[in-house]
Amino acid sequence: MLGYVFRRIVTTIPVMAVVALLVFSLLYIAPGDPAAVIAGDQASPEQIAHIRASLGLDRPFLVRFVDWVWRILHGDLGTSIFTNLPVSHMIAQRIEPTLSLMVLTLLLSVVIAIPMGVMAAAKQGTWVDRVIMVLAVLGFSTPVFVIGYVLAYVFALQLNWLPVQGYTPLADGFWPFLQNLILPAFTLGGIYIALIARITRTSMLEVLSQDYVRTARAKGLGFGTVLFVHALKNAAVPITTVIGLGVALLIGGAVVTESVFAIPGLGRLTVDAILRRDYPVIQGVVLLFSFAYVLVNLIVDLLYTVFDPRIRY
Amino acid sequence: MGMNRRDFLTLAAGAGAIATLPAPAIAKESETRVLRFVPQANLPNLDPVWGTQYVVRNASLLVYDTLFGLSSNLEPKPQMCASYETSADGRVWTFRLRDGLYFHDKEPVRSVDVVASLKRWMARDAMGQVLKDRLDTLEVVNDKQFRVQLQKPFPKLLLALAKPMPNIAVVMPERIANSDPFKQVAEYIGSGPMRFRRDEWVPGSRAVFERFSDYVPREETGDWLAGGKRMELDRIEWQVIPDAATAAAALQSGEVDWWETPIADLVPLLRANGKLRVEIADNLGNVGILRFNHLYPPFNDVRVRRAVAMVVSQDDYMHAVVGSDDALWRPMPSIFTPGTPLYTEAGGEILKGPRHWEEAKKLLAEAGYNGEKIVMLVATDIGITKGQSDVTADLLKRLGMNVDYVATDWGTVGARRAKQDPPSAGGWHIFHTWLAGLDCTTPATNIALRANGRKAWFGWPSSELIQTLIGQWYDAPDLAAERWVAADLNKAAMDFLPYIPTGFFLAYQAWRNNVSGIVKAPFPVFWGVRKQ
Amino acid sequence: MTASSSQELAIAPEVAVAPELPEIWPPVRRRRGFLGFVLKHPTIAIGGLLILVMALIAVFAPYLGTVDPTALAPARRLRPPSRDYWFGTDMLGRDVYSRVIYGSRVSLIVGIAVSAVACALGMMIGLLSGFIRWLDAILMRVMDGVMSIPSILLAIALMALTRGSVRNVIIAISIAEVPRVARLVRGVVLSLREQPFVEAAVAAGTRRFMILWRHIVPNTLAPLTVQATYISASAMITEAILSFIGAGTPPIIPSWGNIMAEGRALWEVTPSIVFFPAIFLSLTVLAVNLLGDGLRDALDPRLMRRI
Repeated sequence: MLGYVFRRIVTTIPVMAVVALLVFSLLYIAPGDPAAVIAGDQASPEQIAHIRASLGLDRPFLVRFVDWVWRILHGDLGTSIFTNLPVSHMIAQRIEPTLSLMVLTLLLSVVIAIPMGVMAAAKQGTWVDRVIMVLAVLGFSTPVFVIGYVLAYVFALQLNWLPVQGYTPLADGFWPFLQNLILPAFTLGGIYIALIARITRTSMLEVLSQDYVRTARAKGLGFGTVLFVHALKNAAVPITTVIGLGVALLIGGAVVTESVFAIPGLGRLTVDAILRRDYPVIQGVVLLFSFAYVLVNLIVDLLYTVFDPRIRY
Repeated sequence: MGMNRRDFLTLAAGAGAIATLPAPAIAKESETRVLRFVPQANLPNLDPVWGTQYVVRNASLLVYDTLFGLSSNLEPKPQMCASYETSADGRVWTFRLRDGLYFHDKEPVRSVDVVASLKRWMARDAMGQVLKDRLDTLEVVNDKQFRVQLQKPFPKLLLALAKPMPNIAVVMPERIANSDPFKQVAEYIGSGPMRFRRDEWVPGSRAVFERFSDYVPREETGDWLAGGKRMELDRIEWQVIPDAATAAAALQSGEVDWWETPIADLVPLLRANGKLRVEIADNLGNVGILRFNHLYPPFNDVRVRRAVAMVVSQDDYMHAVVGSDDALWRPMPSIFTPGTPLYTEAGGEILKGPRHWEEAKKLLAEAGYNGEKIVMLVATDIGITKGQSDVTADLLKRLGMNVDYVATDWGTVGARRAKQDPPSAGGWHIFHTWLAGLDCTTPATNIALRANGRKAWFGWPSSELIQTLIGQWYDAPDLAAERWVAADLNKAAMDFLPYIPTGFFLAYQAWRNNVSGIVKAPFPVFWGVRKQ
Repeated sequence: MTASSSQELAIAPEVAVAPELPEIWPPVRRRRGFLGFVLKHPTIAIGGLLILVMALIAVFAPYLGTVDPTALAPARRLRPPSRDYWFGTDMLGRDVYSRVIYGSRVSLIVGIAVSAVACALGMMIGLLSGFIRWLDAILMRVMDGVMSIPSILLAIALMALTRGSVRNVIIAISIAEVPRVARLVRGVVLSLREQPFVEAAVAAGTRRFMILWRHIVPNTLAPLTVQATYISASAMITEAILSFIGAGTPPIIPSWGNIMAEGRALWEVTPSIVFFPAIFLSLTVLAVNLLGDGLRDALDPRLMRRI
């Protein structure tokens, strides 16, 4: 097991290098130019050229890339072109909101979705199943921002229960922190509740039709026991996969949620950086994402062996 | 919320140490007056010489001070400057700084700081460059005085020093101002009424300004950038809310106090809320711009530009930009901002009255347009440019032109419009933007007017007549002379069409009822604003 | 799609239902013909019908009382729904009804094309890497690499590379979806690889390709169908999100996504601009998912293997 973890981490480093190279070259050939954005509407072409040179953007791609990798190896993520702030500082500022939003959303989704999925599978074909599935499907057939606007309108503007936007750090108290995150978490959760509930139901049905479940049932074990001990445990592999996938999806969904609720998170940082071509920030964030992704998937793969001993590494 | 107690005490102690200063009004922490402001855009940096976005300018006006300041009647008035003398031939100017000026690092402001700052600014600003060309020496006389010696008189010197149109001549400490004008400064230290809390800055989300207790405002009442900039607030928090619907909701629920740029269509909704006030932000408004690339066919041919101008309906453009409220816009067959001293419609007939479709089509055919693709760059993430582009696409289509609508983001438009390559090889034909009305009050600050070919603003028009006339304005001794030049200039511009003004439009600002003292200006004026 | 599912359905009623577990497998009343089909698979029927309606709307858009969806009329902007403008008008005075009807074309094409491209590529990669161990390491690391960038961010970056067009939107979304399919297929393959019937086939010396084709591929179909519906649904929504961010289909081509994105700032004032395309989008996505669910039940691999 430890050997496996070690191997995973070792094989992962080249992946991250490849990703970095890929993304970096991708945006290098992209037509945007940060110098033009900095210079503003008023600037002349000459001024833009000057700014470009002073930012080092006129150097060849390879030189810039090697320079970047060299710095990374020294623990330096570089400095944002626009703000002149260290990229590590900008990322650090924004990790907490995104992480909090994701953890809360994930918790919420799992707590709501798995019982929904199990229930739907147990009552397959009945109206309970249909209602749950239609609800689940509605959850992810509505665009995130529409859900966000409607929730904000009802719970913040009309009922005045929760704030419309913004973020309060956990250090300023748990309740203010939670208050600001409830609506975004439900907004973002819609899709994942739907996704996890569907996959749970699908996997449960698969397992429920297996012979050993029938056997267990025939042996006279209670239906609830069968459902939660045998079936759910065996359905856990695909469910875990989806939750694992969900983490990467969550970051993407967070982009929109963070915009709607004005949360200063990583998603917005990344989109802003892409649209402005703030290369050092894009690179830093992408590096972070691949790291997080590798970590989450390692955990998910390890969970496979827990849930399904037939899978060996 | 509220000011960090320890920081506040340090500040207060520092202020007390400087005995000559009036004792600062020490507010208790619980009484900290905080204003929450939603700016037009994210604040990306705080170097108004290096970056020229309006939002950078607006924040800079809080943090930095200028020698002169523009008043609401567009006149330069002394700000950091206590007095000045001019020689009879107008070639030697001696300025004296007023007493009690301190930078946020507690160092006094000296002439050596001013001279270094002006040098950095002259390297970047268009009017600054004209000054530089006429400059003989710029020298420190003593700690309080400095002297400008010119080879040729420069009647617009005070305007150049006062103008809030980017790039602005802000004063920074010498050690910072001595840096490369094409590199962003490493520290944001000014001598303005508020200091920037860099430690609380979250780019893309939040910028915090804290009252600088050592700031001594002028005696006069504040009027835009002139007079006393008296802060009635201890802390100003800029909250960037990119989504207009969210910003509107935040203002309605009282989570923010002042929204700089509410969308016109949301105004009825905000007005219906009894706790809000919505007013015109700035009578100088904005000017929509349809910009041609003058280097390549078909728009290198003035007949094609005229054909488009003949059918342009400023009505349609302005509806697309400001919505249904007709009080918000005005047609402007002019390059100057309506309602300002130089405004003239001389030669503007081409943009007025009934539109001449048949004539335009004939002119187009005569110019030999044969269906080639017109590459139009459209920043779909910026409402005002997108709205104008949609109207132009429709217009050119009806004129029989073949439009290639390149939908992309502002970052890409910004880069691509700088390319002088042919439109088929990565260049372009048309893009849209807008200028602040303030910028179009003089020929020097209207960037789109400059017609010095490949050195001009994107689009690179080339017209000696326009260049000569702009030069004449610089030397015009009084307003009458300026107006004379302005009429000729407008005629020349409406004939040559370096760009087409798509109309003059006003914008709103909205704030909560418990905030008072907000004035109409082309930039948010925070001094004099109170919050209960 | 409908054709292939009815083929499966012709067989499905023959399946013996385990009598000992009535609460899990309720008895099936046998009925023949169309009514029987509808009763047995209401989700397929409802989903399929809705999709059919949407497809017809898309095809016959010009004949459904629409006007030019891009025609501007700033004078009559932001009208509420009325007899003349069924869904009202938007901020440029364009007819929202016409835009929504024409918009169905873009959204359906995006949904179908993305799931086709992503599933085809993803299945290939998933099968190869699930069954060929030495290839697995390489393919999955590459997939990991692509996948470690959140799909929407990857799509935004890809869109920043190029200009807004329907084709580019399809490509950008597909690339981001491929690794997900590949992983899912590989996951199924991994868990099947150790199953007795596969091990038996390997022991019996059956060729790899045959094992793949006969034992693995059929077993990936059910989860893949679920995944395909999810992809086409999410592709339509991703298209809306790309528009929301300003990196989607160009505004001159109406899609449900960009109609909503354009109207979103005003949704408190003129909700109709967001509301109607949202209804259409939600209904379509709902239909696709219902169809997928129905197909999944009909295509249950366990049932199929018994036949």
